[in-house]
Amino acid sequence: MYYIALSVLFPILTGVYLLVRKEIKNRKSLLIQTGIFLVITTVLGVLALCLSGGGILTPFNLTDRLPILFKVDEISILFAVMTMVIFLCAGFFSFIYMEHEEKEKRYYGFYLIVFGILLALCFAGNLITFYLFFELLTLSSMPLVLHTGSREAIMAGLKYLFYSLSGAYMALFGVYFIERYGNTLTFSTGGVISSQAAADNTGILLWIAFLMLIGFGVKAGMFPMHAWLPAAHPVAPAPASAVLSAVIVKAGVLGMVRAVYYIFGVSFLRGTWVQTAWMVLTLITVFMGSMLAYREPVLKKRLAYSTVSQVSYILFGFSVMDAGSVTGGLLHVLCHGAIKAGLFLCAGALIYKTGKTRVEEFRGAGKEMPVLMWCYTILSLGLIGIPPTGGFISKWYLAEGALSSGLSGFSWIGPTVLLVSALLTAGYLLPLAINGFLPGADYDYGSLKKKEPPLLMVIPILVLTLLSVVMGLFPEPLIHYLSLIVEKIL
Amino acid sequence: MDFVQNFPAVSILLCLFGGIISSGLRGKTARYVNRGLLLVVTFLSLCTLCYTLESGEAFVYVMGKFPAPWGNEIRAGMLEAFMAFFFCIIMLLSLEGGKKKLVEEVEEEKVFLYYVLIDLLLASLLALVYTNDLFTAYVFVEINTIAACGLIMIRQNGRTIEAAARYMIMSLLGSGLLLLGICMLYDLTGHLLMSNIKDQAAMLYASGQYRIPLLVTIALMSVGLAIKSALFPFHAWLPDAYGYSTVSSAAILSSLVSKGYIFLLIKIIYRVIGFEVFYDSRIIDVLFAFGLMGMIFGSVSAIRENDVRRMIAFSSVAQIGYIYMGIGMGTQAGMAASVFHILSHAATKSLLFIAAIGLTDVSGGSRKFIDLTGGAYRNKWAGVAFTVGSLSMVGVPLFSGFISKLLFAQAAVQNGTKMLPALIVLGISTVLNAIYFMKTVIRIYTPVEDSAYESVTFKNMKLYGLTLICFIVLNVFLGVSSQPIVDLIERGLTVFS
Amino acid sequence: MILLVIFIPIIAGMLVSLIPFQKRSHMEIFLESAVVLNSFLVGYLLLHRPDHIITLANFTGNLSIGFKVDGMSIVFAGLISVLWPFATLYAFEYMTKEKHERIFFTFYTMTYGVTLGISLAANLLTMYFFYELLTLVTVPLVMHTLTREAILASRKYLYYSLGGAAFAFIGLIFIIIYGSTTDFVLGGVLDLERIGERTNVLLLIYVIAFMGFGVKAAVCPFNSWLPDAGVAPTPVTALLHAVAVVKSGAFAIIRLTYYSFGTEFLRGTWAQTVVMLVTMFTIVYGCSRAVKETHLKRRLAYSTISNLSYVLFGVTIMTPLGMVGALTHLTFHAVMKISSFFCAGAIMHQTDRHYVHELDGMGYKMPCVFGVFTVSALALMGVPGLAGFVSKWNLAAAAVESGSRIAYGGIGCLLISALLTAIYMLSIVVRAFFPGKDFNMAALEGINDPDWKMLIPLFVFTILILVMGLYSAPAVKFFNDVAAGIY
Repeated sequence: MYYIALSVLFPILTGVYLLVRKEIKNRKSLLIQTGIFLVITTVLGVLALCLSGGGILTPFNLTDRLPILFKVDEISILFAVMTMVIFLCAGFFSFIYMEHEEKEKRYYGFYLIVFGILLALCFAGNLITFYLFFELLTLSSMPLVLHTGSREAIMAGLKYLFYSLSGAYMALFGVYFIERYGNTLTFSTGGVISSQAAADNTGILLWIAFLMLIGFGVKAGMFPMHAWLPAAHPVAPAPASAVLSAVIVKAGVLGMVRAVYYIFGVSFLRGTWVQTAWMVLTLITVFMGSMLAYREPVLKKRLAYSTVSQVSYILFGFSVMDAGSVTGGLLHVLCHGAIKAGLFLCAGALIYKTGKTRVEEFRGAGKEMPVLMWCYTILSLGLIGIPPTGGFISKWYLAEGALSSGLSGFSWIGPTVLLVSALLTAGYLLPLAINGFLPGADYDYGSLKKKEPPLLMVIPILVLTLLSVVMGLFPEPLIHYLSLIVEKIL
Repeated sequence: MDFVQNFPAVSILLCLFGGIISSGLRGKTARYVNRGLLLVVTFLSLCTLCYTLESGEAFVYVMGKFPAPWGNEIRAGMLEAFMAFFFCIIMLLSLEGGKKKLVEEVEEEKVFLYYVLIDLLLASLLALVYTNDLFTAYVFVEINTIAACGLIMIRQNGRTIEAAARYMIMSLLGSGLLLLGICMLYDLTGHLLMSNIKDQAAMLYASGQYRIPLLVTIALMSVGLAIKSALFPFHAWLPDAYGYSTVSSAAILSSLVSKGYIFLLIKIIYRVIGFEVFYDSRIIDVLFAFGLMGMIFGSVSAIRENDVRRMIAFSSVAQIGYIYMGIGMGTQAGMAASVFHILSHAATKSLLFIAAIGLTDVSGGSRKFIDLTGGAYRNKWAGVAFTVGSLSMVGVPLFSGFISKLLFAQAAVQNGTKMLPALIVLGISTVLNAIYFMKTVIRIYTPVEDSAYESVTFKNMKLYGLTLICFIVLNVFLGVSSQPIVDLIERGLTVFS
Repeated sequence: MILLVIFIPIIAGMLVSLIPFQKRSHMEIFLESAVVLNSFLVGYLLLHRPDHIITLANFTGNLSIGFKVDGMSIVFAGLISVLWPFATLYAFEYMTKEKHERIFFTFYTMTYGVTLGISLAANLLTMYFFYELLTLVTVPLVMHTLTREAILASRKYLYYSLGGAAFAFIGLIFIIIYGSTTDFVLGGVLDLERIGERTNVLLLIYVIAFMGFGVKAAVCPFNSWLPDAGVAPTPVTALLHAVAVVKSGAFAIIRLTYYSFGTEFLRGTWAQTVVMLVTMFTIVYGCSRAVKETHLKRRLAYSTISNLSYVLFGVTIMTPLGMVGALTHLTFHAVMKISSFFCAGAIMHQTDRHYVHELDGMGYKMPCVFGVFTVSALALMGVPGLAGFVSKWNLAAAAVESGSRIAYGGIGCLLISALLTAIYMLSIVVRAFFPGKDFNMAALEGINDPDWKMLIPLFVFTILILVMGLYSAPAVKFFNDVAAGIY
């Protein structure tokens, strides 16, 4: 059980250690240290997942009624595994990528801290612990955003900070009330709101639920509080963007899942105006994100908009509150994690190699870096939802869940929006691949030369691509596992 | 008849004779006579006070052998005796504090005149306090006016003459109205002795006859005395008169002369008209309203003033407003608060005038604020005294002003309709007081680099310093152990009617 | 004993200006030992409380100057006596650059005694007396630098404070007339029979008195003196304008609400609504002004304005829990704000920089100071694990428990203010640690962390913030007992 504490504390402490220690002259030793730290953290995390087995760890009490509480449940496992995989991949990727950036030590320090905090978020067993690490996540990931130190980056970092904090505070508003009306703050399937309080204070509790959704939704880039995301994600170094886009936004998703399924309970929210509003917001976000991505010329920004849209796929799944759609949502958490991390790493590798940023500038890149571009293409297909990648399976479940939910209107509006958005996704992701492989007749083939990025960059991307494909090809065990979770929480 | 009962009459007569004798003496001798007189009168008043306190009631002293209702009477209760005692002390301190200035500002050969006037003033004040005869009161009001004019004018420059003329005109208007009122009362009741008038007035009131003449009479007398005591809006004469006359005069005028009239008004209310009759006339509300306005406008004018003496003078307008507000509340508590404020204001205002002169002296004689900067470092005692006076005016606990504020507010709370306006104006006026007094205090404690003016030490001004210390002690005494005095006032007021 | 702790600092302060010390260090030793001794005495006093009222003098009638130690006194006196020795230590170092040290320390030390007088006062009159006195002894501190600005600020401070006291005075009068006693009794002393039909008048008076004392607690619209008073030397701004003076205002309001008028009488009336709305407005207003402000100390002063109204918001909930929230924030905010002010002071002392935009990259040159500043910033925002979270939690919990819709709105204000706090505090931190790519670090040559005399208080406060955040249970339990009247 103490592995939980270890897996949280170890990366945080080592991160702090990296931050405060003197500048390391030898870059290699820094990388080795960081690598070892990352691996140990992952090992500790895995151990925590395997060995804690539902035990509860309460290191201390914040106040007499607010314990800091960790426990491992199914959702934790899901999110923790995703976090660890992506952090490892992006971490190794950055060993090459960060060569050109200044202040590497600071970067790795915060990277490790964020890692630890994310694990803590996954393991958080009650609302207050979750809130604690949610806020710490914001604070510690902000330095990753503004790492490059350009004016744009600093402004984006601050924007990220203030949006996230306002979200956190909205959530906190809810926490205050739940402490009063709930039996406990500990996450428990089916909700904690006492039936008496639920009956007496339905109005206020629904508002609270809505506020908490909006609040956590800030991190997940949900409309109307999404504006920070396209500003913050692209300015970070590419591996950091990958982490931000693939994992950190999922912290918001996790928050919403915890709030809806573990605090309020599905039975309390189903059929209320809050559910309707939530669905509307997610659908708006899905469409709007895709639309903006489609119009965006800069690659990383385009991917950031794509994140806005894709995360709301997940949220839509959760908002429908139907077995199928929730399964789809959970599955999309994993798929989108792998795919978006992969895509950002690809973008990073492209930028690293060519120094270009706009989509139309990458003509012919496929000829120069075939492996990379193939990965990119496969990942894109996954995000669009074309078999045999995981994206297809998750979207299938999402659409199917929506159709079978029996919600009047939304059962067909939802899938339609998802489909349109998938088309747009194809529209904004594929041109790069097409241009990359088929630069056109007028292209100067003579200037091409092989410049595949170094192995340490390619391997993480390959791993992520592979994962997304595996999820698409052999989804059965995963879906089985997810359906067990869904059964529990619905 | 006890021997002590002669004392009030004796002290009035002593003062009158002192004045007459002084007119033939040289300045210095006149001063000694004056000081001697003051001490004696103080002592006599103290004896009377002890006597009345012991007997617990007032006594009537018949002048000559003519019995009432024809003869002239003096009536002394503990309040009267205490007032006389207190007035003497303040006058003594004010004269001592301003002595040096007097020598500078008044021509050598006129000094004796000054003391003549002072003696007469004291006589008239005592008479106003003690007399039981309305017409006698009028006579001494006039003597008082003349003496006061002289005190203003004795420092001869253009402004004082103008001020004295103004004062004279306004004052005479006031006395005229008072006289009219007295005449009408005499017409209505056929008496001049206060107690007799009161009986008749009560009968008239009870029978419902002569309602309107009675009302007019009350109005005439109240307005007359209000003009003389510079109640807003009849205060136009005041700033010049207090601002430019020699400092002792200013201190005496502001803290004693106007208070004498107010005391007379209180006497008229209690002993001539009768409290109930007065209360039922609407005049009381008018006084209350003017009092409130005075509190505000006096302070506002003071804030706008750029001359420290005139600022203090305007502050008097505000403080007199307080007193009239207390009277206007029409309750025993309000009246007691007013009487206490008469004392506390007398002690504080003369302190301020005396302290201000110390400050202006070390600032090249200029009274502009800009020149006063850092004055408190050049004359430390004056600085401390001015601060104490200011704090008392603002109503900081420990000083006398706080107690009067406390009493006023308590009185206000017990009054139904007048509570809110009184309390709110009290609050606002405190803020305004704070603004102009604290501004000055900060100003005098703001040091200036290498000031052009010399500084004085305690050694150079022993007498002045001692006076200031006495004033400060008096102030703190009123502020800390006020209970016996408040008790005395309350008992005195009961004995009054 | 009570008199002793009040008068030792006052006398020690006077002595400082009278004794001709040979060296500066002698004065330092004398003062510090006097202050520390006094703090220990206070500690002893609070542990061994006399159970009766000690009367010093009688004013008129039943009004007396009396002292006693009850729960509230323990909280406030304890807080002050813990902070003062550190602040004095800090002041020694800070004041090396200022003139007229003697006068400064005279009044600085006297303030200690006066503030203790407020906290130990047994009745409203005594508190009022020390309250006025507090204004007077702190004015010289505000005008210490004697610049035109300082003099204007001190004038303003004086007018506002005395004016406020004048209105608080009206409340005092009503308690004298309508209360069964002026002593502080938890639950109020109003005599309902005497009030009769005049309930509304009394409520009005409560509002007036609230605003009157609120002047010191910088309630909007009477707050503008506080940022201006920031011209004073930093130890003053830190200790007095973040703790002693302004908290005296809040303390007085708690006394007024819980111990004089009584929450029974006030709860659910329009007066409660009015004062609650005022505090809510101030919370947001203070923060927004802080965001706009570019002068570091003024920004912190606006932050104080907003945080004081947190306390007052807790007061206006008018339940025992509300009082717990108020007390928690009263103490915890004191530590957080004094810590951030001391950082600001250290920055000004070391570099003479006053504006936020001058702080770029300083985090690398003064890591200790900015580290502490970051902690206090996070605590003020209310990050869990630090002091601010606990107090906000208590406030919000009280608001939720009260069940009033306006109080719910108050929680909203708290959170909006938390966000704004993040904006105005973290933007400084970000500047200091992430100056931007093309920032020339050479411009900061020669700047480093201050002396140990400054750092020790800073570290102590940081540790306190952490301890309060992580192990607040004993403190909160104590506040609960105070609110329940056990002490």
